[in-house]
Amino acid sequence: MLKSIFYKEWLKLRLFWCLALVIHGGVLAYILLSIRSTLLTSGVMETWATMIGRDVLMVNTLMYIPLLTGAALALCQWLPEMQVKRIRLTLHLPIDYTRSIGTMLLCSLVGLCLLFALDAAVLAIVEQAWMPRELVLRTFLTCLPWFFGGLLVYTVLSWCILEPQWKMRCVNLLIGLPLVALCFLTAQPACYIPMFPWLVLLLLATGVLPFYSIYRFKLGKQ
Amino acid sequence: MKPITYHQSPITNIKYIIIALAIIVIAWLVPALVELVSPRTDRMPFVVYSCLDSTFIRFETQNKQVRYVDFRGQEFTKAEADSLLPLFSFRQLVAEGRLPDSLYGVALTPKLIQQNAFHFKTSPKQLNRPPVGLYLMLESASGRVDLQLPNDVFRLTNEGLEFIDAETNTVNRAKSRSFSRELTKQGFTFPVQLIWGNGSTRKDYDNGFLLTDAHNRLFQLKMVKGMPWVMEIDNGQSQRQFTNLFVIEPANRALIGLVVTDDHRLWAVRANGELAEIGKIGQSQSQRQSLLYDPQQMQIAIVGDLFHWTITLYTATDTRYYAVDAKTFELVDAAIVPDPAPTTKQRILRCLLPIRLRFTSWRTQSIAPSINDD
Repeated sequence: MLKSIFYKEWLKLRLFWCLALVIHGGVLAYILLSIRSTLLTSGVMETWATMIGRDVLMVNTLMYIPLLTGAALALCQWLPEMQVKRIRLTLHLPIDYTRSIGTMLLCSLVGLCLLFALDAAVLAIVEQAWMPRELVLRTFLTCLPWFFGGLLVYTVLSWCILEPQWKMRCVNLLIGLPLVALCFLTAQPACYIPMFPWLVLLLLATGVLPFYSIYRFKLGKQ
Repeated sequence: MKPITYHQSPITNIKYIIIALAIIVIAWLVPALVELVSPRTDRMPFVVYSCLDSTFIRFETQNKQVRYVDFRGQEFTKAEADSLLPLFSFRQLVAEGRLPDSLYGVALTPKLIQQNAFHFKTSPKQLNRPPVGLYLMLESASGRVDLQLPNDVFRLTNEGLEFIDAETNTVNRAKSRSFSRELTKQGFTFPVQLIWGNGSTRKDYDNGFLLTDAHNRLFQLKMVKGMPWVMEIDNGQSQRQFTNLFVIEPANRALIGLVVTDDHRLWAVRANGELAEIGKIGQSQSQRQSLLYDPQQMQIAIVGDLFHWTITLYTATDTRYYAVDAKTFELVDAAIVPDPAPTTKQRILRCLLPIRLRFTSWRTQSIAPSINDD
C-alpha cells in the first residue's frame, strides 16, 4: 500500500521534481560560472582575500531557491488534494491515515533533502578544485540554513494547506512563516552554527503539524 | 480494549506544540516590532581627554547641534573646544593659525601630531565572528610603498603552518616547513592557541601576526623578504594567560599590538617586544580603579594622541572613560557614566513580555536564541 502511495506521489510530482532539478542546476551553473569568472578576471588570490576578509562567498543567488522549491512543492503536492477534498480518498484507504499522510510527507522531505544534498555536493566538488577546504566548508555552512528554510517552508505550508478552516489557515501562517524567516536572519557566512540544533528541533516540531490539520479535517471541521 | 476516539487521539497533543511555537513567535516578534517602530535615537557621546583642561570633554549631539561639555559641567564653544583639544583639532587650529608652537616642552608640528595619532576600535560582535581558519601573510619589507597581496594563504595545523598556493591550490611544503621550523627554533611549541593579524593591504606597513603557543607564550611572526621573522614577546618572562590579541600598526611604529590577559588587563606590546600594562594605577592615582577590559562583554574605542590615550569601554550597564599617558600607559584620569535608566516604554514592554526572545545579539555575529538579552 505504501509503495502504491509512493508511486502515486511520483506520478503527481514528477514534473515538479524535473523542473526543480533543472532550476537548481541552472542556478548552480550560474553561481559556479560567476565564481570562475571572478577567479579569472580578478585573480585567484584577490578572490580568496575577498572571501576571507570581506565575508563574500558569491553564493547568495542560491539563498531563496530552496525556499521557493519547498513552497512550490507544498503547493503542488497538497493543493490538488484539497481541491474538492480529494484527500478523502487517501484517508479512506485501509491503512492508518498517519501512515499514508506520513509517507506522502516523508517522500517529499526526502526528495527535498536529496535535491539540497545534490546542490551542496556539486558546489563542494567544483569549489574544492578552486579554493582551500576551509572556504568550501564555509560555503556549505552558509547554505545550510537556506536548505533548512526550504524544508521548514514545506512543512509549514503543508500544515496550512491541509488545514480545513480558512481562519485557522491564517493563524497557522502567522505562526509558521516567522519560523521560516528564522533561517534568513543574516546572509553573513557560517553564522548559523549554534542555531543548527534548534533548526533540527524546529523541523521536527513543524513536521508533525500537518497531522493535526488532517486530524481536524477528519473531525469534519469546515 | 476501548477503541481510541478522535478526541483521545495522541494527535491532539500536537496542539501543545502549536501553542509552544506561537509563544516563541510572540516572544521574538513583538519586542522586535516595538524596537523597529520606535528605535532608540540616543547616541553615545564622543569623549576625548583634554591635556589642557585635565578632564574629559564630551561632544553631545542634540537636535543636530553639537555641545562641548567637560565632565565638570562647563560648556564651551566650538572654538574653545578646539583650543582645549589642540592635538585632536590640530587641522582646524593650523588653518586658523592657532596651533601652539609647543606643548609641555614638545615642539608641535602637524607631522608629529599626525604620526602620534592612534585609533583602535573593536566590539564583542567583531571578535565573535565565525573564524575562517585561513590567514594572509603580507610581505613586511617589500621595499615598495604600497603593500601587496601575497600569492598564498596559510592555515594552522597541529604541526605548524601550512601555506596554500593560490595558483595551484596546493600546499607549498617548502614555505610551510621554513616558517614552522623558524617558529620552533625560536622556542614556539605548536599547536597555535591564539592568532591575530591584519591581512588588509590598506595600511602603511605590516606588523604580521601575534600568536600564542601551546604553553601560552606570546610571539610575533612576520614575513621579511619572503623569509620568516620571529620575536618572542616579553622574552617569555610573563606567566600570563592571554585571551585576546590584536595587531596594530600605528603611524609612529612604537607598538605592534594590544593583548588582553585572563584577569582582563590590557597590555600594549612595544616594538622592542616589551609588554606595558595600559591603565595601571600610578602613585598619584591610588584611589582609582585600574582599567579592566573584558573583550567578550565590552566594546572598546581608543583615541590616542602625542600625550594621552582616551580609552572608552562600553559595557552593558555603563560607559567607562580612561585617560592614560601615551608613553608610560599609567592611568591619568577615569570616569564611569551609568547608562540611562530604562524608559517607561521599555519598562512597560518588560512587564508585558517577561520572556523576550532574540536570535541576534550585540555580542556575536552568530545566530542563536537568547532570552531577555536586551
